[in-house]
Amino acid sequence: MSFISASGVKYSYDENGSDVLKGITLKVNKGEFIALLGHNGCGKSTMAKTFNALITPREGVIYVDGMDTSDDEVTYEIRRNVGLVLQNPDNQLVASVIEEDVAFGPENLGIAPDEIRERVDKALKTVGMYEYRTHAPHKLSGGQKQRVAIAGILAMKPSCIVFDEPTAMLDPNGREEVMRTIKLLKEKGITIVLITHFMEEAVLADRVIVMEEGEILIQGKPGDVFSEVNLLKKHSLDVPQATELAYKLIGAGLRFSKMPLTTDDCITFLKGVLS
Amino acid sequence: MSILEARNLSYTYGVGTPFEKAAVKNLSLSVNEGEVIGVIGHTGSGKSTFVQMLNGLIKPQSGQVFFDGVDIWSKPKEIRKIRFKIGMVFQYPEYQLFDETVYQDISFGPKNKGLPEKEIDRIVRKSAKFVGLSDRLLKQSPFDLSGGEKRRAAIAGVIAMDPDVLVLDEPTAGLDPKGRDLLLSQIMQYHRERKNTIFFVSHSMEDIARIADRVLVMNGGVLEMLDTPKKVFSQAEKLESMGLRVPQITKIMLALKDMGYDIDEGILTVEQAFVEIVSLLKKEGKI
Amino acid sequence: MTRDIALGQFVPGKGIVHRTDPRVKILLLIAYITLIFCSFNFVSLGIITAAVVTVIALSGVSFKLYFKSLKVIIFIVIITSLLNMFYGTGEPIWQLGFLKLTMSGIYRAIFVTVRIILLILISSCLTFTTSPTDLTDAIERLMSPLKVFRVKVHEIAMMMTIALRFVPTLLEETDKIMAAQKARGADMESGGLIKKVKAMTPILIPLFVSAFRRAYDLATAMECRCYKGGEGRTRMKSLHIGKTDIIGIVFSALVLTGVVLCDVFILPII
Repeated sequence: MSFISASGVKYSYDENGSDVLKGITLKVNKGEFIALLGHNGCGKSTMAKTFNALITPREGVIYVDGMDTSDDEVTYEIRRNVGLVLQNPDNQLVASVIEEDVAFGPENLGIAPDEIRERVDKALKTVGMYEYRTHAPHKLSGGQKQRVAIAGILAMKPSCIVFDEPTAMLDPNGREEVMRTIKLLKEKGITIVLITHFMEEAVLADRVIVMEEGEILIQGKPGDVFSEVNLLKKHSLDVPQATELAYKLIGAGLRFSKMPLTTDDCITFLKGVLS
Repeated sequence: MSILEARNLSYTYGVGTPFEKAAVKNLSLSVNEGEVIGVIGHTGSGKSTFVQMLNGLIKPQSGQVFFDGVDIWSKPKEIRKIRFKIGMVFQYPEYQLFDETVYQDISFGPKNKGLPEKEIDRIVRKSAKFVGLSDRLLKQSPFDLSGGEKRRAAIAGVIAMDPDVLVLDEPTAGLDPKGRDLLLSQIMQYHRERKNTIFFVSHSMEDIARIADRVLVMNGGVLEMLDTPKKVFSQAEKLESMGLRVPQITKIMLALKDMGYDIDEGILTVEQAFVEIVSLLKKEGKI
Repeated sequence: MTRDIALGQFVPGKGIVHRTDPRVKILLLIAYITLIFCSFNFVSLGIITAAVVTVIALSGVSFKLYFKSLKVIIFIVIITSLLNMFYGTGEPIWQLGFLKLTMSGIYRAIFVTVRIILLILISSCLTFTTSPTDLTDAIERLMSPLKVFRVKVHEIAMMMTIALRFVPTLLEETDKIMAAQKARGADMESGGLIKKVKAMTPILIPLFVSAFRRAYDLATAMECRCYKGGEGRTRMKSLHIGKTDIIGIVFSALVLTGVVLCDVFILPII
């Protein structure tokens, strides 16, 4: 059964302005890892905000775990269930001690102190930041801050986490830390929606959705989507270099059983052809 | 001819405190006029400190920086003049925008330089053109621009000082692929016309591979390598030991080379790789 | 550029003073400050000094740090004690022009000096042993009776928490913006006052814009984490009065009695 289901979602930021979302219909299954791609301004961040009832569609409906996001009664239950991690790691931590920050969510939910403690410790251990629990956020690296932000969401025990360009402001090390954490969460059965500009992150997803000007341009398995090299290039989107190379080689007469997405895929394939 | 030279530069933060940390250690290099130097190194490798010493924002504790053969600190009172010659674009430069209109904001540097009104107008418009900002945008408030436009306006503000050396600290960070490609091509277009020297700090090896004449690798405050992208990126293992990557395509080609195939090392673009593999496949009779 | 900011100067530790409930610590601090200014003879001053020294010895924070915090006010101490020294009444024991040194002046100077030093030491002790979050938390709880008068106690405390969290971030940001404007040839050192104030615009405006942007982001993040004000909120760390707190209270009560008795039965010196 789908966990999030949106149908005909339209949204505009000001009454008479043009729609940022122009009738989006999509489904996210329980436990699925979705990568949402597209240019800045294509509406993907807006879409993400509709998933946890930060904004409600002008037209169309979104159901999260069977709950209508425009129903005020369930707003907080939806927000608890669908966490949102933002781009700037500095601007989402509230408290000046790590563990206090992670406790912020559960505290808002009115959970008993003992249980908060338990959840905070567990969440910090999951993201590998337990040793830093008494540190101040401003002394941490970007990747560490982002992991703390993830722990803060985890402590609310969500079944889905939406990541809005979580690695855009990080260096390669920080990016890797965050991606490792996201993979771990996926293994734990949490539904993941990842908005990103980095193709090497998108290829890890179960399904890729590409948005363009408020509409879905193309969606499918990463292998299928990235095979559409021409379409993606036409919309000046990135294609992993490994895939681009394979695409060119297909043009030169080489046959691929499966489109390579990563460096390793490509190396394995070329080794096979050459030997 | 060498335009910029660093001799035994060293800088340590928090001298005498428990937080003492050497950021740059005994760094020397010489850069020729018109070169594009890609600067790579992981966070904390000292590359930011190093580039800030180039235009005198940080004064080296030992060593010297020579611009056009003159020590930039020979007249400490005139260090401000050096900053017009060595322009510096910081990370997320859009955070420095402040004036009422984009036009006024871009003219901040030239005004500080003391240029006459007419000259300012000419150079502001020229700089805006380089980064693709229309006349209509010049009249707007910088805070009403889109993210990519803000970034380009801020870069125009530095270009407008007409510096001989331009230091760019991760100019494409946070942009989407479209914005990134556009900005990179504008910077290179500007470079071709102005024939200036560029330091380009980036975490994106693909970007560095595309534009750099030479790559400067920093690790632990030390200059580890300074060579052509081809030579630097062919040393994938050494780079990886410093927590750095090589471009994806280079990695694929190095793996094939390791298997004993005759491949040019340090392949940097998909096009090069394609040509190389096709000729290899033909030689092996696979296509 | 990287500045190490000792905000609130908290020194982590596990000593008895650290473990004392922050509410108790704040109330005791108020009591000690009152006592420091209510000791009018050497015996009561001695008792309170001994008490303060005991507390800071128990705090487990190195004396070096206490000296550091004293260093900041050393100038004020010297000036005020010098002024007091020559402001006494009575028989002068030494005189130079209009400067009269009297016994009462010397006593006054001693009292003022000791009082200021004690004041700094005991307040530093609170900030050294209590994390900023604990402090705001304690203030929120101590102020909670004010809710009756419609004071928005939770909101005030939340503002303090966020301010504490963002001071280092904004300081860092100021550094960055200053460097960026200097790189564009901004001249912040030369010129008169007006020119200098004007030169601040390119720094202040980006800083404000950034603060607004951060505020907007943070508000979104807080909404995502189900923040809906103080109502129905629980706290992970519940404060309760334990044994250490009782020891602290009893100890301070004894000091209080001592100082009061001395003040009553021994003649005041100043």
